[in-house]
Formats: sequence, C-alpha cells, structure tokens
Amino acid sequence: MELFTPEFGLVFWMFLAFACLYFILAKYAWPFIIKSMEDRATLIDNGVAYAQEAKSQLDNAKAEADKLIAQARQQQAEILREASKLRNQIIEDAKGEAAVEAKKVSQAAQVSIEQARKESEKQLRQEVGEIALQIAEKVLRTTVSNDSAQKELVDKYLSEVETKN
Amino acid sequence: MYAYISVMKKVTTAILALVIVALMALGYYSTAQHRAHGESHELNPKETIFEHLGDAYGWEVPFNHSARIPLPIIVKGQDGWHCFMSSCVADGNTHQGYRISQSEENHGKVVQILADGSEYRPLDLSITKNVAGIFIAAIVVVLMIMAMKRWYVKNGLKAPKKGLGLLELIVDFVYGDTVRPILGKNAPKYAPYLLTVFFFILTMNLLGLIVIFPGGANLTGNIAVTMVLAVITFLITTFSGTREYWKEIFWPEVPMALKCPVPMMQIIEVLGMFTKPLALMIRLFANMMSGHMVVLVLVLLIFIFTNLFGVAVGGGTAIFSVAFTLFMLLLDTLVSFIQAYVFTILSTIFISMALVEPHHEAK
Repeated sequence: MELFTPEFGLVFWMFLAFACLYFILAKYAWPFIIKSMEDRATLIDNGVAYAQEAKSQLDNAKAEADKLIAQARQQQAEILREASKLRNQIIEDAKGEAAVEAKKVSQAAQVSIEQARKESEKQLRQEVGEIALQIAEKVLRTTVSNDSAQKELVDKYLSEVETKN
Repeated sequence: MYAYISVMKKVTTAILALVIVALMALGYYSTAQHRAHGESHELNPKETIFEHLGDAYGWEVPFNHSARIPLPIIVKGQDGWHCFMSSCVADGNTHQGYRISQSEENHGKVVQILADGSEYRPLDLSITKNVAGIFIAAIVVVLMIMAMKRWYVKNGLKAPKKGLGLLELIVDFVYGDTVRPILGKNAPKYAPYLLTVFFFILTMNLLGLIVIFPGGANLTGNIAVTMVLAVITFLITTFSGTREYWKEIFWPEVPMALKCPVPMMQIIEVLGMFTKPLALMIRLFANMMSGHMVVLVLVLLIFIFTNLFGVAVGGGTAIFSVAFTLFMLLLDTLVSFIQAYVFTILSTIFISMALVEPHHEAK
C-alpha cells in the first residue's frame, strides 16, 4: 500500500520545511509573543490590584472625610454652645455689675440726699428758729409794751419753770 | 444603513451562487467535451480515492482532468541529478530518460528508463504536490505568526482585535492552558516547538480541507508528514530525558522477579518509548486520512450510482451525498483542531514524562 510507506523525498522536504519553520519562529516570534502576552497578563493583574487598592483607599478617604466632618460639626456645636454660655455669662456678669453699680450710685444718691435733707433740715431749723425768734421778738415787743401784760407773762413763765422742776 | 448592508449581502450571495452555477456548468461542459472525444474511461473508485489521497507530480486545477499546475521534479538517477518540470513527463511522455511509471511496482512515480528497457527508481527529491503544500502551509504559518509578532512590536501591550485576537486566543489556549500547566518551569524552553507543531499541523489540516489550489493536498493524512513530526517529538523526548527517566526505564521500582533474571519490565518500558511516538504518528495520519476518504467516498457514490442506475438515481444521491459531505467537512474542521491539539498535548505530556524528577521516598 502506497499510503503506508513514507516517501523519502517527502520526509526530506517535510523535515527541512519544519526545521526552517521552527528556527524562524523560535528565534523571531514565539519568545517575543509569549513574553508580550505574559507581560500583558501581569499588567492587567497589576491594574486590577491597583484599582482595588485605589477603590479601598477612596472608600477609606470618604469614611475619613465623613469622620472629619462629624468631628468638625461636633466641635462647631461645642464652640457654639460655649460661646452662648460665655455670652450669657457676660450678660449675667454685666447685669450683676450694673446692679452693683446702680446700687452704689443709688446708695450714694441716698447718702447725698440724706445729707442734703439733713443740711436743709438744719438750715430750716435755723431759719425756723430765727423766724421764731423774730416772731417772738415781735410778739414780745408788742406784748411787753404793756406792763401788766409783761408781768403776767413773766409770771406765767416762772410758773411754767416751776411746774417743770 | 442596515437595510443597505442586508441588500448588499443578498446581492453578494446571488453573485456567488451564479458564479458557482457557472463553474459547475463549465465543468459539465468540459466533461461532455471529453466524453465526445472518447477520452472517457471506466470509473475506478479505488484508484480515484487513492489518487486523491496520495501524492502527485503537479497540482490539479478545478474542472479539468488533464491540466496540472507544473511542479519541479528533482531526481538523482544513475546518470546524476536531473531537474525538470512535471509538465515534461505529463501524459506518459518521456523526458531525459525519465517518465511516470505505469507498472505495478512503481505506479505513479518518476522512474528512469535504463538501456535495457527496465525501470530504475531514482532518488526522488521532487517538489511534489504534497511538498509544495507543506511549503505553502509553512509560509502561511510564518505569515500568521509574524503578523502577530508585528502587532506586539507596533502596539506594545494592547490586545489584538479580530483575526489576530483569535490567533492570540489559540496561542493562549495552547500555551497558557496546556503547555505551561504541564511543563511548569520548563515551559519556555519547549513552548516554541510545541506551538510551532500545533500551528503547522492545524494549518496543514485546514489547507487539506480546501479543495482547490492552495489547499487540497492531503498533508497530515500522509504518513511521511506525521512520521517526521512524531520522530522529532521522540528525539526531543529522548534527548531531554533526565537520569530518573532512564532509571525508570532500565531499573524500575518493581519487585526484583519482574526485572532481574528476565528483563520483562525493561522490555515493556523500551517498547513504550517507541509506541508513544508511533501512536502520535498513526493517530494524526489515520484521523485526517479517514476524514478525506469518507468525503471522497460520499462524492464518488454519486458517480457510482449514476453509472449503475442512471442519471435520476445519481441526481437523488447527489442531494444526500452533498449534505453528508458538508457535514463531514464541518466535522473534519473540528477534527483538524482536535487532532492538532491532541498531537501538541501528547507531545507536551511525553516531554514532561521525560523531565521527571526523582520521587522522594522518605515521606
């Protein structure tokens, strides 16, 4: 059977063709192609790892930002609360001081009023005394011009003094 | 836009169908011409099948039984080297004392006619149809793989698209999913051989399925071709065998009775060395040849039935035969991939078996 007996010529050319093909491809193509494909696989793997890392970092950053914002809010609230407390205190203090001052002022005013009153009283008393004396003088003058009346008066006073003692 | 494309497709299909019908008519016409000139000969199915499966000087052209694309014949007879075109010895002509033999022994081969009229079989290094087919396949493989390499040189690490993408998928399938897992750290050393073998076999298989000129040569269905590939795998396996590999062949770890007085295991192991490449050779050869043979038989059925029962039965057979032939060719396309892959994976496994490391007994 011709089919089962290899022809020498065909074996020779087949071997030659395959050897040439092998040396061309093994020298110029396969190592480069395999290296390129493996490099790309590595590149893609690295890319995926990088993307995952970036995503996790982004998630972290978001969480961190949220935390920072929450902190800031808290601080803000605290500061506001403190400020309002301070304000209230200042107002209270001011009120207290004002009250004290007002009290002082009013006290001073009272003192001065009292003094003025006392002074005026004194003055009034002097004046009243003087007026009374003048009146008394006048009365005396009018009444003492009459002897009997004078006598009567002296008696009267004397009796008064007697009764007092 | 889409409507336009679909119309274009329809027009293309119609033109293609017309061309095919015209070619068929031409073929029928030329056959009728032959018949008219009385050149018709008795249908001999066996001869036709083996003629198509075998090698030839010159390459057939469609729709013509006599015209051949001439190919160089290179022979070394008793009077030295001769080189001439196959067209010189076509139709039983004798050229420089050489002709194509019609004898039982050297049928279809170029022989030298000696002075006493006897035939002498010269050393035949002709570029036959199969040799030309091998060259075409090799050139196709080089062009394909070099195109792929150029892509990487030009585009760096970008992924190739379309055809090159498919090619890369196949390379990755063979190298990344088969060779690397099996050979491990030795993969880069043997990958060029295994990938070259895969693509060469695949290209030869697929070219063999194309019926007209660049294809049509039954390459991997020829035992010489598969023998060369199997022998190369055998040589690589043998020359990369480790100490452990040879030790397992000549002093395997089996009970002493099996290996000492009568070297039974050694004989089995040494036989195993040769049966492995032999199986590689026969498997590829038989698979591809039988595929071609079934297609040929199915097509020949048309002519056999026409001869036996007339044109009507032959026409009916044609419908079934063409349907089955189409099916067989599709199956052969699948088989082309499978056999190329099987040859590669088995070569990989044989090489990995030769690279075996010593077992660690102290476990």
